[in-house]
Amino acid sequence: MTDKPVILGSPFPPRTGQVVLPPAASELAPADQVRSLYRLSDPALSEMGLEEFLNELLARVQEVLSVDTVAILLYDEEAQQLVARAAKGIEEEVEQGVRIPVGRGFAGRIAAERVSIFIADVDHADIMNPILRDKGIRSLLGVPLIVEGDLIGVLHIGSLTPRTFGPRDLAVLQVAAARAAPGIERARLYAALEHEHRVAMVLQRSLLPQQTINVAGITAAARYMPASYDVGGDWYDFFQLPRGRFGIVIGDVVGHGLKAAALMGQLRTALHSYALEDHSPAQTLQLVDRYMRSLSETAMATAAYAVLDPETGRIRLASAGHLPPLIVGSGSARILGVPSSPPLGAFSYASWTEQEASLEGGETLLLYTDGLVERRGTPLMASIGRLLSVTAGADSAEEACELAVEHVLPFPRLRDDIAIVAMHYGTLPDELSIRLPADPPVLADMRRILRRWLHHHSVQENDSREILIAVSEACANAIEHAYSPAPAAFEVAATRHNGELSFVVRDQGSWRSPRGENRGRGLKVVEAAMDEVEVKPSEQGTEIVMRKRIRK
Amino acid sequence: MSLGDVAITVENSVVIARLTGEIDLSNAQGIEDAVAAGTPNQALSVFLDMSALEYLDSAGIQLIYQLKEKLGIRGQSLKLVVPSDSPAADALKLAGVMDHLDTIESLQAARG
Repeated sequence: MTDKPVILGSPFPPRTGQVVLPPAASELAPADQVRSLYRLSDPALSEMGLEEFLNELLARVQEVLSVDTVAILLYDEEAQQLVARAAKGIEEEVEQGVRIPVGRGFAGRIAAERVSIFIADVDHADIMNPILRDKGIRSLLGVPLIVEGDLIGVLHIGSLTPRTFGPRDLAVLQVAAARAAPGIERARLYAALEHEHRVAMVLQRSLLPQQTINVAGITAAARYMPASYDVGGDWYDFFQLPRGRFGIVIGDVVGHGLKAAALMGQLRTALHSYALEDHSPAQTLQLVDRYMRSLSETAMATAAYAVLDPETGRIRLASAGHLPPLIVGSGSARILGVPSSPPLGAFSYASWTEQEASLEGGETLLLYTDGLVERRGTPLMASIGRLLSVTAGADSAEEACELAVEHVLPFPRLRDDIAIVAMHYGTLPDELSIRLPADPPVLADMRRILRRWLHHHSVQENDSREILIAVSEACANAIEHAYSPAPAAFEVAATRHNGELSFVVRDQGSWRSPRGENRGRGLKVVEAAMDEVEVKPSEQGTEIVMRKRIRK
Repeated sequence: MSLGDVAITVENSVVIARLTGEIDLSNAQGIEDAVAAGTPNQALSVFLDMSALEYLDSAGIQLIYQLKEKLGIRGQSLKLVVPSDSPAADALKLAGVMDHLDTIESLQAARG
């Protein structure tokens, strides 16, 4: 036994007291002692998970070699450091997240030179790890962890009393290293995939609209349910369009993963943008198709885009190979049959046709992706029929989504993601009475509701325009002049008696007579548009009552 | 979705401001500012094209008067493009200001 360093098979000169060992022949180790290590095979790892596997492996190494400590440090390529990952005997290493620079000290040198190193009597200058120094470690043996030529970490054992680690110890340690390395690598890949999955989920969520619509008796609601193991390319969207109309969209990019999610984001944005340019649904799909085909990657998607005119309840819809929408919430819940059509991105110069449908007050248009209705062993149309029957009684967009989700319950693990979007066309009473916050943007909403009410009462376009201006002016007056800056509200009521329509705009503010040319002009407009106008100031607020006889 | 919008083009010292959507109390000031900002000093006249406008009320009429005043200070004229059957024409007539403003039926009429 000599204290002189022994150099074997390394191009690098060792430091005093360090012995660089040649690769050991594993046959040197008694079979019975390493058998327990061999038993830690891949199936064991997949059953246990990495944490448990490493703990088990280190425990067996400790037992077989009767050492005081055994530890695994993993290589952090970015930081060029080794990080303590698992330990038996001196667990503080891991708990304190010890980091060793590659190239320095015992473990650092093993990593840098990819050699096994034995230190018979530790000179504490050789040890970078403060915990091992504090514990008074005396002898150390370590091996590199290598997978397909890449260093992934270091496995080492240590003794608190001076001890010579021989070829047998080295062989056992190398077997353990060979067992641990692929498992660690695989776990790292899983973690990376997991990370991608999370990124994709965040992307997916951030791309779906968070806000809801609740304007002029039109409400929208939606659901998105991710698949269990993968991120998908489903999306929904809804938005307001010029002339008070609403757009509602459902889509599904073929494929899964970050790419599908990213493409989904592009298509959603493209469709939304073209829609705002006031293109028809069929034209919008065609533009999205051309956009999609201009992208370098080949991909396909199905989508449906519908535009609802709240004044009349009419829907214009175009579908690119998407599943048929449902109309629910009345006695006549129905599947809106769509002609077969190509998906987006599939063919050169594809075009789409448009179809019309009509919503009655109280009905809801429901769009969904295939994840909601595709069930192994169930024909698609039967599954859609079942969806129709469970959602038929839905009284709101929210309820339609809720019932549709219940339809797939209890969902074990979703193989595909699911998107659902619903737009409800609220019923309009014969006598209108609404309360709105005293805030200028509500004027447009008020006009939408009133326009729908006027259409409901078959008021002609010319009369309708004059009434809209007059009532809107009265509301603007309530907002602008009757209030202090504190939050407030006003009410609008509309009634019909035979050929005469009456409108009342009521606020709780104290009336201030119109000042300035502008307000004076507003009241003039009201008076010119209506047959009778009364302004009734009182203690409680101000009422403007307007009447107009309408042409048949 | 913005309620109303304006697209401004400048051609041979003439500014054409095309209004779309609806103009009311909530957005009139913004539209006025946009037209004023989009009018270069060298411009001789501004055409406010209201033919595609879906709604206009007294807040929008106020916009027209304020814009007219601002442009007048710079010696620039304001002309309104108001087809007789348009919602904008209804509003101007109801407010009784149609005859006090410089209006034309269409941009083609101005060019012709």
